[in-house]
Amino acid sequence: MNLRKYFIILLYIIASAGCITQFIPETEETQSLLVVEGLITDQPGENTVRLSRSQPIGSYTDPEPVKGCKVTIEDDGGNIYILHEGEPGTYLTDPAIFQGAVGRKYTLHIEARNASGKLSSYRSFSMEMNPVPPIDSIYYEKQLINNDDDSPQEGCQVYLNTIDPEGLCKYYRWDFDETWEFKLPYDVDNQICWASDKSDAINIKSTSALTENVIYRHPVNFITNETDRLNIKYSMLINQYSISEDEFGYWKRIQNISDDVGGLYDIIPASITGNVYCTDDPNETVLGYFSVSAKSSKRIMIADSFAGLRHDFNAYCGTDTVPSGIQIPGLGTSLWIIIEYDAYRVLTRYRECADCSYRGSTMRPDYWDEK
Amino acid sequence: MRSIILILIIFLISLCSLSAQDNLIIKWNYQDLSFKDFASKVESESPARFFYRDEWINDLKLGFYGENIPLSKLLDNLFAGLSLYYFIDGTGDIVITKDFVVKISEEQAMDSLKLVPPTVYYDVQDEKKLSGNLFLEIGNPAEKNRTGNVVVSGYITDKDTKEPVSGATVYVRKLSTGTSSNAYGFYSLTLPRGIHLVQFSFVGMNEIKVDLNLYGTGEMNIEMKSTLIPLKEAVVSAERNATLQRPEVGMEKMNVATLRLTPTNMGEADIVNSFLMVPGVQTVGEGASGFNVRGGSAGQNLILLNGAPLYNTSHFFGFFSAVNADIIKDATLYKGGIPSRFGGRTSSVLDIAARDGSRKEFAGNAGISPVTTHLTIEGPLLKDTLFYLLAARTTYSNWIFKVFDNAYLNNSKAAFYDLNGEITYDINKNNKIDLSSYYSHDAFSFNSDTTYKYSNNIVALRWRHFFTSRFFSVFSVNNSHYNYDISSESIITEAFIMSHTINSTGLKADFNLFKGRHEINFGVDAVRYAVSPGDYMPASDSSLVIPNSIQKEKALETSVYIEDRFTLNDHVSINAGIRFPSFFTFGPRSVYIYDPSYSKGISTIIDTVYYGSGEICKAYAGPEYRISLNLRPSGTSSFKLNYNRTRQYLHLLSNTASISPTDIYKLSDSYLKPQICDQYAVGFYQLLFNGGLETSVELYYKSLKNMIDFKGGTRIIMEENIEQYLIDATGKAYGIEFLIKRDEGRLRWSLGYSFSRTFLKSTGTFSDEIINDGEWFPANYDKPNDLSVAFNYLATRRLSFSANYVYSTGRPITYPIASYQMGNMNLLHYSDRNKYRIPDYMRLDIGLSISGSLKSKKIANPYWTFSVYNLLGRDNVYSVYFTNEDNVIRGYQLSVFANAIPSVTFSFDF
Repeated sequence: MNLRKYFIILLYIIASAGCITQFIPETEETQSLLVVEGLITDQPGENTVRLSRSQPIGSYTDPEPVKGCKVTIEDDGGNIYILHEGEPGTYLTDPAIFQGAVGRKYTLHIEARNASGKLSSYRSFSMEMNPVPPIDSIYYEKQLINNDDDSPQEGCQVYLNTIDPEGLCKYYRWDFDETWEFKLPYDVDNQICWASDKSDAINIKSTSALTENVIYRHPVNFITNETDRLNIKYSMLINQYSISEDEFGYWKRIQNISDDVGGLYDIIPASITGNVYCTDDPNETVLGYFSVSAKSSKRIMIADSFAGLRHDFNAYCGTDTVPSGIQIPGLGTSLWIIIEYDAYRVLTRYRECADCSYRGSTMRPDYWDEK
Repeated sequence: MRSIILILIIFLISLCSLSAQDNLIIKWNYQDLSFKDFASKVESESPARFFYRDEWINDLKLGFYGENIPLSKLLDNLFAGLSLYYFIDGTGDIVITKDFVVKISEEQAMDSLKLVPPTVYYDVQDEKKLSGNLFLEIGNPAEKNRTGNVVVSGYITDKDTKEPVSGATVYVRKLSTGTSSNAYGFYSLTLPRGIHLVQFSFVGMNEIKVDLNLYGTGEMNIEMKSTLIPLKEAVVSAERNATLQRPEVGMEKMNVATLRLTPTNMGEADIVNSFLMVPGVQTVGEGASGFNVRGGSAGQNLILLNGAPLYNTSHFFGFFSAVNADIIKDATLYKGGIPSRFGGRTSSVLDIAARDGSRKEFAGNAGISPVTTHLTIEGPLLKDTLFYLLAARTTYSNWIFKVFDNAYLNNSKAAFYDLNGEITYDINKNNKIDLSSYYSHDAFSFNSDTTYKYSNNIVALRWRHFFTSRFFSVFSVNNSHYNYDISSESIITEAFIMSHTINSTGLKADFNLFKGRHEINFGVDAVRYAVSPGDYMPASDSSLVIPNSIQKEKALETSVYIEDRFTLNDHVSINAGIRFPSFFTFGPRSVYIYDPSYSKGISTIIDTVYYGSGEICKAYAGPEYRISLNLRPSGTSSFKLNYNRTRQYLHLLSNTASISPTDIYKLSDSYLKPQICDQYAVGFYQLLFNGGLETSVELYYKSLKNMIDFKGGTRIIMEENIEQYLIDATGKAYGIEFLIKRDEGRLRWSLGYSFSRTFLKSTGTFSDEIINDGEWFPANYDKPNDLSVAFNYLATRRLSFSANYVYSTGRPITYPIASYQMGNMNLLHYSDRNKYRIPDYMRLDIGLSISGSLKSKKIANPYWTFSVYNLLGRDNVYSVYFTNEDNVIRGYQLSVFANAIPSVTFSFDF
């Protein structure tokens, strides 16, 4: 229900009378709030808790990590696990001594300096780890993208099914890591690479209103024809989490206020906080969520031909041919060599056109031959 | 003693009363002729024409009164002692009257006329003292030596259409007493015996002044005539006395003439937009459906069309009112003293009365504006008994999409239409039936993607029965149906249609009894509601959508009321009423019981209670008191006190700033308590400059109980167990409203200003039920300063110019104050609820109306309306929103009309 869409139409109707202008609100608040992004699962390996600070609206810098905090996880058996700081602001469990277990409850403790430099203590609610069923299947369908051009254009819609016969899990969250192979059209050294990305959308579902504990054809991601993801081979590792009802509600609310905005009928936004609070000052807002959930994963490989793929390096890269032996200012910083012959060179302005490792890795993933 | 008097209203056609007929000499033998034969013989010999009732002269035979006798002298002799009188007007018409004398006054109003002791009467011959257009005697002159008060009552009708004129003012200036006619045109006034000058006035009609010799209780029926100005816009107002007379605080009446004076938005005269000029009535912004009255939410307004509730009041995303202005006779907004006959909403009642069809002849109107085209036809089906009116209005905006060279727009649609039909049947003098129906439809879709549709469908049947001339009743039955659906077939396997429906059937009996100084209204009504909160269905056979229906809601609301409007004396009148609504929800229904020590949620359900079909799940009842006191220290001022309680069982759930096409109706249930509003209001009204300037100040305070708010970030569509997302809130609103108005002459203007505040406070106990730490916060529609200025200049009879200026404080908004990152997502953190405000709102509109012809009998009478909306092209901000584009948060402000919008409307009457 994209109400913004029809608002834009309306603007056309009234002959572009309305308008949307860019705007930065002037607020007297310059809050720098603690943001907690924690996830512990039942899988072996490191679990991470990332601490950062919120930024003023309109700032384009990366979030400031909160360094040097004391971060611990306490379970319902009274055991306390200390997390050590890896990269700045990222706190990791020791895989040798900590692994989450279904049925146990975990509480996060943080001691951090707040924005004014005062040492404060933060704490999460006690969160129980719920079991998660395995992902039953992942599959995709070609989907015609409705366009007025004569040539058909297809995208790829990825779905999953999950069956939970015992009904142990009512609330699901999914995220994914995607990897795809791409190849530059030029005969350069780094011609074939593997690019990776992570999901950037909230994907949750509750089966509490369904009679059967079956998730069928749940859309995971739609891959458009406008990138090079579908050109050669594409892989997606989907993680399925059993989240709590509280966490489900948290993501649902975040989703409601961040998607579909900009219409006449936006829902009233609200400050949404998670399960972490400051024990010293109950009025201090803490953002983010400490998620405790079991995790199951499954991978899909997609190597298929899709009609009307639009990503075209030749159109995008734009090359120029110059004779060899000429001094080229900016070579290696703003101009890049694609082909070097004896008599001339072919240059491009974009490094990613001359070197695939700029966007990806030349390391072939070990699972890449899987079907 | 009661005497039925036939009233013939004779306008000042000619001041030259000495016409040829007055001197007509009867030279022939008339002795022993019946009056009828005599009259036809006179008519055959001269241009004279007699008007009389047969029953008066049936047995009347002429005697001999002398040869070559003037007609007047003959009639004097003939009628002597028969209580028959005659009147000869300038065109030669001889009008015979019984029991009263008609006189045309040759004098203008004489201010020097002193208040005479009650038992002094005009001498019938003493024309000099008369100041009205008409002289009447009521009662038996034999009672002339009695004193004390008697009651004058009667019907006021439109001379041309024969429709009752409701809301007309009946006023006796010397006594500063008066009343106004009710919905059937009936009025009743208690006056001391004696002479009086009674003024009858109404917006758009010629004022009538009647000199009265009042001997006893009697009836005085008045026919009023529309002002003969061809411009529909040019009206003469005479509402000013009415405001002083009414006991209620905060009532605004608007008729179609006033409505047409307001400059238009995209060429459409619009009822709701016109009411926005009234102090105390606001909207959250352009393009917002609904309006807010004195700190009430848009869902707290009861909008009645011919007595039936209208659930969606807008077209085209909210830019136009759903009711076609061409069918409106008048509309009354009760923002303060809501009469006891209305109930069910806490904030206001907007009562829209549609016109009856023309009673005279076939007539019509057609017109075209940039967005719509409309056609109205009306006329009698059977002479004097059966009348019809049909109106249709539609957009032709879809073609606009085709104009643009854009595939996306070519595939888009947005259209609406509405249809009105009305049949009025005057069975006889005491029984009238009208049947009206209304249908509206809106549909919009973008790039053949999601389609939104909604429709209103209303059928209303009313039977007005007059038991006696002082005891009326109206029995009505109506059905109002509103539904919307959202559908999408863009992904074949996910093609769905989601719909929401509310259907209500109302039965109502209203009685209206005039007894001495009392006007007693009482009645009963019952409304049956059926709400289908949401159905989510596959839209095609190949769709894999799993059907989902949220359980239906059924309820019955019944009310009884009684109200007495009591005129204690010339200075004090009281309106005291009580309304008692009861509300029952019925099964089949399953209701979850939640653990009271936690916030309501799926995991805190501890039990489920099933109610069988027809079983009462929950009942509510409570009295509503409606009390008004009007003190009139003088004829030009009035002071009013008012207390009002209203209860509301049907809620419009809206978690958006304004009403959106996807809001849902919800009935009270075990968790959703009825909203209760107590309003205390005080008003002071003063006429200045001999009534040329009307001023008023009104103050109000409201306390609002059981208001609804939502847990942060809640969407309400297709949510089973909506109680899990609701927050209890309480509210308070207060304000002061000033109005200065000049309503007569060529230059008319009004200036309204209000200062008002509306606050809400969450009353929940759990953290997710608390907004802004449980402190008071301004409501979304809290706009403290609100100024509106309207200006009309009637340059000539064919040309009028109008302008509107509005200014208001920007509405409150919740701003994002920080951004943060979670995984790959950039998210926003918002301030406390409604902590900030969008920039102030300001707009100037102008309009110009030109009538093509002054001749009312021309076959087609064209008129043009030019208007410019937002003349200054001010970029009024509607909302501010933030999007995440390539992981950069960008803020945008959205204005609906950032430029001046000119429009031309062409219409013609035929």
